[in-house]
Amino acid sequence: MSANSASISASSAGPKKSLKTFGDDIWKNKTAKINAELFTLTYGSIVSQLCTDFERDFKKVNSQLYAMGYNIGVRLIEDFLARTALPRCDSLAQTSEVISKCAFKIFLNVTPQVGNWSNNKDAFSLFLDENPLSDFVELPMDAAKELWYSNILCGVLRGALEMVQMDCDVWFVNDVLRGGQSTEMRVKLNRIMKDEIPAGED
Amino acid sequence: MAIQTILVINKSGGLVYQRDFIKTGAKLSSNEYLILAGTLQGVVAIASQVTPKALQISAKTGSKTANEPSQLIPYVGSLGAPAQNLSDMGSFMGQDFFNESFPSWNQSGLKHVTTDQLSMFLYQTLTGLKFVAISTQSTTNAMAVSIAENLLRKAYCLYADYVMKNPFHDPEMPIKCELFDTHLAELVGQL
Amino acid sequence: MGDSGLASEVNEHQRLQLQFQLFQESLPKVDETIYRMLLNEAVPLAISVEKSLTHHKEDATGQLEAELDSKLALESQQGDASHKLLKDYLAADQDQQTRIKTRLENIGFQLGQKLSQLLIFSNNPNLSFKDMDLLSVMKFVCRDVWKQVFGKQIDNLKTNHRGTFYLLDYNYKPIEPFTLEEDLSDQEQKLIEPFLHVPCGMIRGVLASLGFEKEGQVTCQATLVDPPDSKQAGAGTFTKSVSFNVQVLVGR
Repeated sequence: MSANSASISASSAGPKKSLKTFGDDIWKNKTAKINAELFTLTYGSIVSQLCTDFERDFKKVNSQLYAMGYNIGVRLIEDFLARTALPRCDSLAQTSEVISKCAFKIFLNVTPQVGNWSNNKDAFSLFLDENPLSDFVELPMDAAKELWYSNILCGVLRGALEMVQMDCDVWFVNDVLRGGQSTEMRVKLNRIMKDEIPAGED
Repeated sequence: MAIQTILVINKSGGLVYQRDFIKTGAKLSSNEYLILAGTLQGVVAIASQVTPKALQISAKTGSKTANEPSQLIPYVGSLGAPAQNLSDMGSFMGQDFFNESFPSWNQSGLKHVTTDQLSMFLYQTLTGLKFVAISTQSTTNAMAVSIAENLLRKAYCLYADYVMKNPFHDPEMPIKCELFDTHLAELVGQL
Repeated sequence: MGDSGLASEVNEHQRLQLQFQLFQESLPKVDETIYRMLLNEAVPLAISVEKSLTHHKEDATGQLEAELDSKLALESQQGDASHKLLKDYLAADQDQQTRIKTRLENIGFQLGQKLSQLLIFSNNPNLSFKDMDLLSVMKFVCRDVWKQVFGKQIDNLKTNHRGTFYLLDYNYKPIEPFTLEEDLSDQEQKLIEPFLHVPCGMIRGVLASLGFEKEGQVTCQATLVDPPDSKQAGAGTFTKSVSFNVQVLVGR
């Protein structure tokens, strides 16, 4: 994947352990798990019902999935923080690593590649080589043009990041389901909501 | 260390949970608890502002650039490790919620208040929640502070696991969640 | 000789069970928390869909307004918080509530259909399709389907052998974190209802995929019930026992 060459590694590894070992360890030893295919099927049933409800108006489906994800994200962040107790990231590069190596790892058991950094380092992409939401999924022709099948993920990230005072836009720019070369999610940091950072942190 | 009360304060300073574990202890009215919550919220902010500039700068240049939080709270193993019963761990697996030392999110705010009769401990999360424990023992012992931080992080784990999974819960409103209640009582009871 | 034959049969069965279990464990996994959240979040989602659909009908007269609306909707994609949506359910009229429940039942139905395929293809030694009568299908639902989705089996299955079944789950997992008063008011009972339509649909979906697929052949209704005394552990808590009443019309 060409985009990966642009990936920068967050040189600051955080706690003594690398984030990768840390995330792997929590996934392996600390979380209760269920069959990924069950998860895929359930999500598939939800998306398909939405497509029926909105009479294949996929823009509306996208925004419902996003809203659903947002509502999960604002609560899931507490679970993530309680499990990991990771310190506040002091750069977006570090945030990207935490999202990929810890958050995605712990919840979905995948580690997206981070890459495609914008010049001023305020936006990056996550490349999902594997996506448990869409395993074995094929989109019908009409949906392949407009539906962002995994759009729930954008909502989750948006909601979770907002709760740690990072105002971000998150959207899909590409998806293998739509015939793209890769599945690419874009995260852009608009601003850090400094006023809302809990007192006592610095 | 006997825990008299646990409080949870939401990010806007509102008291969302209060529970007494010692029936004989001094009782505050619910209004007084609300005032206490608001006061703590303010004091944490002020405490972080009165930190001398020099210390703030040295903290920034010293530990922060190495990206190593200045202090790690040691993991206290024996504390309330749920007895064998794995189902008590909710969605957490293993013997305990976590088993490593961890950084404090509250570096310069108020963490610990002590009088001759009692101690109060504060644990603040990245999302701005505050978990407060009031102990009947007056202590300035570093070990006691670590134990309290461990206890409160576990309370946070319970909060994440039970309160956050109740879809009816409104973050602005008081926590009504019986599973959180029972597990928290167990946790405090094991102390 | 008969004994040893039986013993080796038992061992063979155990071996297959173990093999099946190892196979299940080797399958790709995701975190259980997010699955539980996803499943429960389907309810606020269904309510939100209903709101957005009815909203648009009302606006159908003013084309411009509708356009403006969809633009605004795109900009603030967040929508309402889940707990607020759940409250909206109570305010919705009968028709809307029915549509919301149907929507959830459809999600469950689709899941059930796919689920039986998933479970059948996994070489489960508990399944034999040689003589799969209705009762063994129901046992499949109670044991394999429930275990897969909710991590536990149905606690009690009752039947009159004429197409009526009661599936009792004394601790229905998805509503475990809910907190409601012990004496459920009508309103609170109503709030739980939509959450029970997903598994109802799921049961119908599984049955449909196993041959009970005629329109209206299978009906399923869920109600909160009191658990038997032995299971009533924590007093003062609201019961999380659910009874699924399944009616199957069997052609003779």
